[in-house]
Amino acid sequence: MGFDFAFAISTVPTILGAIGTTLLVALISCLGAAGIGFGFEMLRRSGGLSGYAVRFLIDFIRATPVLAWLYFLYFVLPFYGVRLGALTVGILGLSVYFSGYLAEVFKAGIDAIPKGQQEASRAVGLSRLDTIIFIIAPQMLRNIAAPLGNYFVSILKATPYLAVLAVPEMLGQAFDIASETYRYAEPLTVAGILFLILALAISQAVKRVETRLLGSTRR
Amino acid sequence: MSIFDIWLGILQGLDVTAKVTGYGLLFAVPFALIFGVAQYLAKGAVLFAVTAIIEFWRSSAVIILLFVFYYALPVVGLMLSAITVSAMVLGLNIGGYASQAVRAGLQSLDRGQKEAGQALGLSRSMILLLVELPQALVAMSPTFVNHFIQLVKATALVSLVTLTDMTFRAKEIAQIEYNPVGIYTSLLLAYFVVCYPIAILGRWLEARISSGRELARGL
Repeated sequence: MGFDFAFAISTVPTILGAIGTTLLVALISCLGAAGIGFGFEMLRRSGGLSGYAVRFLIDFIRATPVLAWLYFLYFVLPFYGVRLGALTVGILGLSVYFSGYLAEVFKAGIDAIPKGQQEASRAVGLSRLDTIIFIIAPQMLRNIAAPLGNYFVSILKATPYLAVLAVPEMLGQAFDIASETYRYAEPLTVAGILFLILALAISQAVKRVETRLLGSTRR
Repeated sequence: MSIFDIWLGILQGLDVTAKVTGYGLLFAVPFALIFGVAQYLAKGAVLFAVTAIIEFWRSSAVIILLFVFYYALPVVGLMLSAITVSAMVLGLNIGGYASQAVRAGLQSLDRGQKEAGQALGLSRSMILLLVELPQALVAMSPTFVNHFIQLVKATALVSLVTLTDMTFRAKEIAQIEYNPVGIYTSLLLAYFVVCYPIAILGRWLEARISSGRELARGL
Protein backbone atom coordinates (compact mmCIF):
# COMPACT_ATOMS: atom_id res chain seq x y z
CA MET A 1 0.00 0.00 0.00
CA GLY A 2 1.90 3.06 -1.24
CA PHE A 3 1.05 6.73 -1.10
CA ASP A 4 -1.98 7.31 -3.37
CA PHE A 5 -1.45 10.74 -4.97
CA ALA A 6 -4.80 10.79 -6.79
CA PHE A 7 -6.60 10.11 -3.50
CA ALA A 8 -4.47 12.73 -1.74
CA ILE A 9 -5.48 15.37 -4.29
CA SER A 10 -9.13 14.38 -3.98
CA THR A 11 -9.00 15.30 -0.27
CA VAL A 12 -7.72 18.83 -0.92
CA PRO A 13 -11.10 20.58 -1.41
CA THR A 14 -12.60 19.19 1.83
CA ILE A 15 -9.57 20.09 3.94
CA LEU A 16 -9.19 23.47 2.24
CA GLY A 17 -12.88 24.09 3.01
CA ALA A 18 -12.03 24.08 6.72
CA ILE A 19 -9.59 26.98 6.38
CA GLY A 20 -12.38 29.37 7.35
CA THR A 21 -12.99 27.53 10.63
CA THR A 22 -9.25 27.46 11.35
CA LEU A 23 -8.87 31.21 10.77
CA LEU A 24 -12.04 32.04 12.69
CA VAL A 25 -10.93 29.97 15.68
CA ALA A 26 -7.50 31.64 15.60
CA LEU A 27 -8.97 35.14 15.38
CA ILE A 28 -11.57 34.75 18.15
CA SER A 29 -9.07 32.94 20.39
CA CYS A 30 -6.54 35.71 19.85
CA LEU A 31 -9.10 38.37 20.80
CA GLY A 32 -10.17 36.28 23.81
CA ALA A 33 -6.57 35.73 24.90
CA ALA A 34 -5.81 39.44 24.50
CA GLY A 35 -8.91 40.37 26.55
CA ILE A 36 -8.15 37.95 29.38
CA GLY A 37 -4.43 38.71 29.21
CA PHE A 38 -5.06 42.46 29.50
CA GLY A 39 -7.40 41.88 32.45
CA PHE A 40 -4.71 39.72 34.11
CA GLU A 41 -2.09 42.39 33.61
CA MET A 42 -4.33 45.14 35.04
CA LEU A 43 -5.08 42.99 38.10
CA ARG A 44 -1.39 42.14 38.49
CA ARG A 45 -0.53 45.85 38.41
CA SER A 46 -3.18 46.71 40.97
CA GLY A 47 -1.19 44.61 43.46
CA GLY A 48 -2.68 43.24 46.66
CA LEU A 49 -4.10 39.77 47.07
CA SER A 50 -5.72 39.55 43.63
CA GLY A 51 -2.43 40.69 42.13
CA TYR A 52 -0.62 37.77 43.74
CA ALA A 53 -3.36 35.32 42.74
CA VAL A 54 -3.15 36.45 39.13
CA ARG A 55 0.62 36.27 39.18
CA PHE A 56 0.39 32.64 40.28
CA LEU A 57 -2.31 31.89 37.71
CA ILE A 58 -0.15 33.28 34.88
CA ASP A 59 2.81 31.17 36.02
CA PHE A 60 0.53 28.16 36.31
CA ILE A 61 -0.86 28.58 32.79
CA ARG A 62 2.62 28.97 31.34
CA ALA A 63 3.80 25.76 33.04
CA THR A 64 0.98 23.52 31.74
CA PRO A 65 0.27 22.10 28.26
CA VAL A 66 -2.53 23.44 26.08
CA LEU A 67 -3.78 19.88 25.52
CA ALA A 68 -4.30 19.42 29.26
CA TRP A 69 -6.25 22.70 29.36
CA LEU A 70 -8.51 21.59 26.53
CA TYR A 71 -9.28 18.29 28.31
CA PHE A 72 -9.74 20.11 31.60
CA LEU A 73 -12.32 22.56 30.22
CA TYR A 74 -14.00 19.94 28.02
CA PHE A 75 -14.62 17.51 30.88
CA VAL A 76 -14.81 19.76 33.95
CA LEU A 77 -17.26 22.41 32.71
CA PRO A 78 -20.11 19.90 32.11
CA PHE A 79 -19.49 18.54 35.61
CA TYR A 80 -20.58 21.95 36.93
CA GLY A 81 -23.52 22.01 34.52
CA VAL A 82 -21.91 24.32 31.98
CA ARG A 83 -22.67 22.72 28.62
CA LEU A 84 -20.84 24.32 25.71
CA GLY A 85 -20.16 23.05 22.21
CA ALA A 86 -16.74 21.62 21.36
CA LEU A 87 -15.93 24.68 19.23
CA THR A 88 -16.68 27.07 22.12
CA VAL A 89 -14.69 24.96 24.58
CA GLY A 90 -11.78 24.88 22.12
CA ILE A 91 -11.78 28.65 21.65
CA LEU A 92 -12.08 29.12 25.42
CA GLY A 93 -9.15 26.72 25.97
CA LEU A 94 -6.87 28.52 23.51
CA SER A 95 -7.93 31.90 24.98
CA VAL A 96 -7.11 30.84 28.53
CA TYR A 97 -3.83 29.18 27.56
CA PHE A 98 -2.50 32.10 25.50
CA SER A 99 -3.78 34.76 27.96
CA GLY A 100 -0.85 33.78 30.20
CA TYR A 101 1.57 34.69 27.42
CA LEU A 102 -0.28 37.82 26.29
CA ALA A 103 -0.30 39.17 29.85
CA GLU A 104 3.51 39.23 29.58
CA VAL A 105 3.22 41.04 26.24
CA PHE A 106 1.03 43.73 27.82
CA LYS A 107 3.42 43.97 30.75
CA ALA A 108 6.38 44.57 28.46
CA GLY A 109 4.33 47.01 26.36
CA ILE A 110 3.39 49.08 29.40
CA ASP A 111 6.81 48.87 31.04
CA ALA A 112 8.38 50.28 27.87
CA ILE A 113 6.43 53.55 28.27
CA PRO A 114 8.59 56.08 30.14
CA LYS A 115 7.40 56.78 33.70
CA GLY A 116 7.45 60.50 32.96
CA GLN A 117 4.36 60.04 30.79
CA GLN A 118 2.27 59.05 33.82
CA GLU A 119 3.75 61.74 35.99
CA ALA A 120 3.12 64.36 33.31
CA SER A 121 -0.51 63.21 33.01
CA ARG A 122 -0.94 63.60 36.73
CA ALA A 123 0.74 67.00 36.63
CA VAL A 124 -1.72 68.29 34.04
CA GLY A 125 -4.60 66.91 36.13
CA LEU A 126 -5.79 63.94 34.05
CA SER A 127 -7.78 61.30 35.92
CA ARG A 128 -6.44 57.73 36.23
CA LEU A 129 -8.89 56.45 33.63
CA ASP A 130 -8.13 59.28 31.21
CA THR A 131 -4.42 58.58 31.64
CA ILE A 132 -4.95 54.95 30.71
CA ILE A 133 -7.21 55.69 27.73
CA PHE A 134 -5.46 58.71 26.21
CA ILE A 135 -1.82 58.38 27.29
CA ILE A 136 -0.94 54.77 28.11
CA ALA A 137 -3.17 52.74 25.76
CA PRO A 138 -2.16 54.36 22.45
CA GLN A 139 1.54 53.99 23.21
CA MET A 140 1.05 50.47 24.54
CA LEU A 141 -0.79 49.40 21.37
CA ARG A 142 2.16 50.44 19.26
CA ASN A 143 4.55 48.55 21.55
CA ILE A 144 2.53 45.33 21.54
CA ALA A 145 1.58 45.21 17.85
CA ALA A 146 4.60 43.15 16.81
CA PRO A 147 4.54 40.53 19.61
CA LEU A 148 0.75 40.32 19.32
CA GLY A 149 1.13 39.46 15.64
CA ASN A 150 3.64 36.74 16.51
CA TYR A 151 1.27 35.29 19.08
CA PHE A 152 -1.53 35.31 16.50
CA VAL A 153 0.67 33.00 14.42
CA SER A 154 1.32 30.83 17.51
CA ILE A 155 -2.41 30.62 18.20
CA LEU A 156 -3.04 29.73 14.55
CA LYS A 157 -0.53 26.90 14.92
CA ALA A 158 -2.38 25.67 18.03
CA THR A 159 -5.82 25.53 16.34
CA PRO A 160 -5.29 21.90 15.14
CA TYR A 161 -5.33 20.89 18.82
CA LEU A 162 -9.09 21.35 18.58
CA ALA A 163 -9.21 18.21 16.43
CA VAL A 164 -8.96 16.20 19.68
CA LEU A 165 -12.36 17.68 20.61
CA ALA A 166 -13.65 16.75 17.11
CA VAL A 167 -13.91 20.37 15.97
CA PRO A 168 -13.98 20.34 12.14
CA GLU A 169 -10.97 22.57 11.49
CA MET A 170 -8.31 21.45 8.98
CA LEU A 171 -6.82 18.57 10.98
CA GLY A 172 -10.28 17.51 12.17
CA GLN A 173 -11.49 17.32 8.56
CA ALA A 174 -8.44 15.27 7.62
CA PHE A 175 -9.24 12.82 10.42
CA ASP A 176 -12.88 12.63 9.27
CA ILE A 177 -11.72 11.59 5.81
CA ALA A 178 -9.23 9.16 7.34
CA SER A 179 -11.79 7.40 9.49
CA GLU A 180 -14.22 7.09 6.57
CA THR A 181 -11.67 5.68 4.13
CA TYR A 182 -9.23 3.97 6.53
CA ARG A 183 -6.41 5.84 4.77
CA TYR A 184 -4.57 8.15 7.15
CA ALA A 185 -1.34 9.08 5.36
CA GLU A 186 -2.88 10.99 2.44
CA PRO A 187 -5.40 13.31 4.16
CA LEU A 188 -2.98 14.04 7.02
CA THR A 189 -0.13 14.87 4.64
CA VAL A 190 -2.44 17.15 2.66
CA ALA A 191 -3.53 18.85 5.90
CA GLY A 192 0.14 19.25 6.85
CA ILE A 193 1.11 20.86 3.54
CA LEU A 194 -1.91 23.16 3.35
CA PHE A 195 -1.46 24.22 6.95
CA LEU A 196 2.23 24.96 6.44
CA ILE A 197 1.41 27.18 3.44
CA LEU A 198 -1.28 28.97 5.46
CA ALA A 199 1.01 29.51 8.45
CA LEU A 200 3.86 30.80 6.27
CA ALA A 201 1.52 33.17 4.42
CA ILE A 202 0.04 34.57 7.64
CA SER A 203 3.43 35.00 9.30
CA GLN A 204 4.72 36.83 6.19
CA ALA A 205 1.68 39.12 6.36
CA VAL A 206 2.31 39.75 10.05
CA LYS A 207 5.96 40.56 9.32
CA ARG A 208 4.93 43.04 6.64
CA VAL A 209 2.52 44.85 8.97
CA GLU A 210 5.25 44.84 11.61
CA THR A 211 7.88 46.54 9.42
CA ARG A 212 5.34 49.11 8.28
CA LEU A 213 4.42 49.93 11.88
CA LEU A 214 8.05 50.16 12.93
CA GLY A 215 8.85 52.31 9.92
CA SER A 216 6.12 54.81 10.70
CA THR A 217 7.01 55.22 14.36
CA ARG A 218 10.79 55.19 14.35
CA ARG A 219 12.05 58.33 15.97
CA MET B 1 -10.34 6.04 44.01
CA SER B 2 -8.83 8.72 46.23
CA ILE B 3 -7.07 11.80 44.89
CA PHE B 4 -3.85 10.13 46.05
CA ASP B 5 -4.50 7.12 43.78
CA ILE B 6 -5.21 9.49 40.89
CA TRP B 7 -1.88 11.20 41.52
CA LEU B 8 -0.03 7.88 41.62
CA GLY B 9 -1.74 6.79 38.42
CA ILE B 10 -0.77 9.98 36.57
CA LEU B 11 2.80 9.84 37.88
CA GLN B 12 3.16 6.37 36.35
CA GLY B 13 3.29 8.23 33.06
CA LEU B 14 6.14 10.47 34.19
CA ASP B 15 8.80 8.09 32.87
CA VAL B 16 7.39 8.24 29.32
CA THR B 17 7.08 12.04 29.56
CA ALA B 18 10.72 12.19 30.71
CA LYS B 19 11.88 9.75 28.04
CA VAL B 20 10.24 11.64 25.18
CA THR B 21 11.69 14.89 26.55
CA GLY B 22 15.17 13.37 26.82
CA TYR B 23 15.15 11.76 23.39
CA GLY B 24 13.62 14.94 21.99
CA LEU B 25 16.64 16.88 23.27
CA LEU B 26 18.89 14.51 21.29
CA PHE B 27 17.22 15.88 18.17
CA ALA B 28 16.64 19.46 19.31
CA VAL B 29 20.11 20.42 20.55
CA PRO B 30 22.17 19.31 17.50
CA PHE B 31 19.55 20.70 15.13
CA ALA B 32 19.47 24.09 16.88
CA LEU B 33 23.28 24.36 16.97
CA ILE B 34 24.00 23.16 13.43
CA PHE B 35 21.19 25.00 11.69
CA GLY B 36 21.48 28.13 13.81
CA VAL B 37 25.19 28.41 13.02
CA ALA B 38 24.58 27.48 9.37
CA GLN B 39 21.97 30.20 9.00
CA TYR B 40 24.43 32.67 10.51
CA LEU B 41 27.35 31.72 8.23
CA ALA B 42 25.76 30.50 5.00
CA LYS B 43 25.10 32.57 1.90
CA GLY B 44 23.16 32.16 -1.33
CA ALA B 45 21.65 28.78 -2.18
CA VAL B 46 22.90 27.10 1.02
CA LEU B 47 21.29 29.81 3.15
CA PHE B 48 18.03 29.31 1.27
CA ALA B 49 18.12 25.53 1.83
CA VAL B 50 18.97 25.92 5.53
CA THR B 51 16.20 28.48 6.03
CA ALA B 52 13.70 26.26 4.20
CA ILE B 53 14.45 23.30 6.48
CA ILE B 54 14.22 25.45 9.63
CA GLU B 55 10.95 27.01 8.47
CA PHE B 56 9.49 23.58 7.71
CA TRP B 57 10.01 22.41 11.30
CA ARG B 58 9.20 25.72 12.92
CA SER B 59 6.23 26.97 10.93
CA SER B 60 4.23 23.75 10.83
CA ALA B 61 1.78 22.94 13.60
CA VAL B 62 3.57 20.37 15.75
CA ILE B 63 0.42 18.29 16.30
CA ILE B 64 -0.11 17.93 12.52
CA LEU B 65 3.58 17.10 11.99
CA LEU B 66 3.34 14.36 14.59
CA PHE B 67 0.35 12.75 12.93
CA VAL B 68 1.79 13.12 9.42
CA PHE B 69 5.04 11.40 10.36
CA TYR B 70 3.29 8.82 12.53
CA TYR B 71 0.91 7.75 9.75
CA ALA B 72 2.80 8.61 6.56
CA LEU B 73 6.28 7.20 7.27
CA PRO B 74 5.09 3.54 7.42
CA VAL B 75 3.29 4.04 4.08
CA VAL B 76 6.58 4.94 2.40
CA GLY B 77 8.21 1.93 4.06
CA LEU B 78 9.89 3.62 7.05
CA MET B 79 8.94 1.81 10.26
CA LEU B 80 9.84 3.77 13.38
CA SER B 81 8.54 3.27 16.89
CA ALA B 82 6.00 5.76 18.23
CA ILE B 83 8.54 7.06 20.71
CA THR B 84 11.19 7.66 18.02
CA VAL B 85 8.75 9.50 15.76
CA SER B 86 7.49 11.58 18.70
CA ALA B 87 10.98 12.48 19.90
CA MET B 88 12.04 13.39 16.37
CA VAL B 89 9.03 15.56 15.56
CA LEU B 90 8.84 17.34 18.93
CA GLY B 91 12.63 17.67 19.07
CA LEU B 92 13.07 19.11 15.59
CA ASN B 93 10.11 21.47 16.09
CA ILE B 94 11.62 22.92 19.27
CA GLY B 95 15.07 22.72 17.67
CA GLY B 96 13.73 24.91 14.86
CA TYR B 97 12.67 27.55 17.38
CA ALA B 98 15.93 27.29 19.29
CA SER B 99 17.98 27.61 16.08
CA GLN B 100 16.55 31.11 15.75
CA ALA B 101 17.83 31.94 19.22
CA VAL B 102 21.28 30.59 18.30
CA ARG B 103 21.36 32.69 15.13
CA ALA B 104 20.03 35.81 16.86
CA GLY B 105 22.58 35.35 19.66
CA LEU B 106 25.42 35.15 17.15
CA GLN B 107 24.16 38.13 15.16
CA SER B 108 23.82 40.35 18.20
CA LEU B 109 27.49 39.99 19.15
CA ASP B 110 29.69 43.00 18.67
CA ARG B 111 31.67 42.85 15.41
CA GLY B 112 34.79 43.64 17.38
CA GLN B 113 34.68 40.12 18.85
CA LYS B 114 35.18 38.51 15.48
CA GLU B 115 37.75 41.09 14.43
CA ALA B 116 39.74 40.60 17.63
CA GLY B 117 39.77 36.86 16.92
CA GLN B 118 41.06 37.53 13.41
CA ALA B 119 43.71 39.89 14.78
CA LEU B 120 44.91 37.06 17.05
CA GLY B 121 45.24 34.84 14.00
CA LEU B 122 42.42 32.42 14.89
CA SER B 123 40.80 30.51 12.03
CA ARG B 124 37.13 31.17 11.25
CA SER B 125 36.02 27.93 12.92
CA MET B 126 38.12 28.70 16.01
CA ILE B 127 36.60 32.17 16.26
CA LEU B 128 33.17 30.56 16.10
CA LEU B 129 33.94 27.86 18.68
CA LEU B 130 36.05 29.86 21.13
CA VAL B 131 34.78 33.42 20.80
CA GLU B 132 31.31 33.69 19.28
CA LEU B 133 29.36 30.56 20.32
CA PRO B 134 30.19 30.66 24.06
CA GLN B 135 28.99 34.25 24.35
CA ALA B 136 25.92 33.72 22.18
CA LEU B 137 24.84 30.56 24.02
CA VAL B 138 25.23 32.16 27.46
CA ALA B 139 23.32 35.26 26.38
CA MET B 140 20.51 33.12 24.99
CA SER B 141 20.35 30.57 27.83
CA PRO B 142 17.07 31.94 29.32
CA THR B 143 15.47 31.51 25.89
CA PHE B 144 16.72 27.93 25.70
CA VAL B 145 15.20 27.23 29.12
CA ASN B 146 11.86 28.51 27.81
CA HIS B 147 12.12 26.28 24.77
CA PHE B 148 12.89 23.34 27.04
CA ILE B 149 9.67 24.02 28.97
CA GLN B 150 7.79 24.15 25.67
CA LEU B 151 9.28 20.74 24.81
CA VAL B 152 8.16 19.21 28.11
CA LYS B 153 4.66 20.59 27.59
CA ALA B 154 4.55 19.43 23.97
CA THR B 155 5.15 15.84 25.11
CA ALA B 156 1.49 15.76 26.18
CA LEU B 157 0.85 15.22 22.46
CA VAL B 158 2.37 11.75 22.50
CA SER B 159 -0.72 10.54 24.37
CA LEU B 160 -2.45 10.85 20.98
CA VAL B 161 -0.10 8.32 19.37
CA THR B 162 -0.67 5.63 22.05
CA LEU B 163 2.32 6.43 24.28
CA THR B 164 1.46 6.10 27.98
CA ASP B 165 2.63 9.48 29.25
CA MET B 166 1.00 11.48 32.07
CA THR B 167 -1.80 12.78 29.83
CA PHE B 168 -2.52 9.26 28.56
CA ARG B 169 -2.69 7.94 32.15
CA ALA B 170 -5.11 10.70 33.11
CA LYS B 171 -7.42 9.78 30.24
CA GLU B 172 -7.14 6.11 31.19
CA ILE B 173 -8.16 6.87 34.77
CA ALA B 174 -11.01 9.01 33.47
CA GLN B 175 -12.42 5.95 31.73
CA ILE B 176 -12.75 3.91 34.90
CA GLU B 177 -13.60 6.70 37.33
CA TYR B 178 -16.00 9.64 36.90
CA ASN B 179 -14.07 12.40 38.62
CA PRO B 180 -13.16 14.94 35.91
CA VAL B 181 -12.34 17.71 38.40
CA GLY B 182 -9.94 15.58 40.43
CA ILE B 183 -8.30 13.90 37.44
CA TYR B 184 -7.75 16.88 35.16
CA THR B 185 -6.79 19.25 37.97
CA SER B 186 -4.20 16.66 39.02
CA LEU B 187 -2.96 16.43 35.43
CA LEU B 188 -2.46 20.22 35.21
CA LEU B 189 -0.75 20.18 38.62
CA ALA B 190 1.55 17.33 37.56
CA TYR B 191 2.87 19.37 34.63
CA PHE B 192 3.11 22.45 36.83
CA VAL B 193 5.24 20.58 39.36
CA VAL B 194 7.60 19.50 36.57
CA CYS B 195 7.79 22.77 34.63
CA TYR B 196 7.61 25.49 37.28
CA PRO B 197 11.03 24.79 38.87
CA ILE B 198 12.54 24.97 35.37
CA ALA B 199 10.84 28.32 34.82
CA ILE B 200 12.32 29.60 38.09
CA LEU B 201 15.76 28.46 36.90
CA GLY B 202 15.18 30.42 33.67
CA ARG B 203 14.30 33.58 35.62
CA TRP B 204 17.37 33.19 37.81
CA LEU B 205 19.57 32.84 34.72
CA GLU B 206 17.97 35.90 33.17
CA ALA B 207 18.54 37.99 36.28
CA ARG B 208 22.18 36.87 36.49
CA ILE B 209 22.87 37.58 32.84
CA SER B 210 21.28 41.03 32.86
CA SER B 211 23.12 41.99 36.08
CA GLY B 212 26.34 40.80 34.42
CA ARG B 213 25.55 43.00 31.45
CA GLU B 214 25.00 46.05 33.66
CA LEU B 215 28.30 45.35 35.38
CA ALA B 216 30.08 45.15 32.02
CA ARG B 217 28.50 48.43 30.95
CA GLY B 218 29.66 50.12 34.13
CA LEU B 219 33.30 49.15 33.58
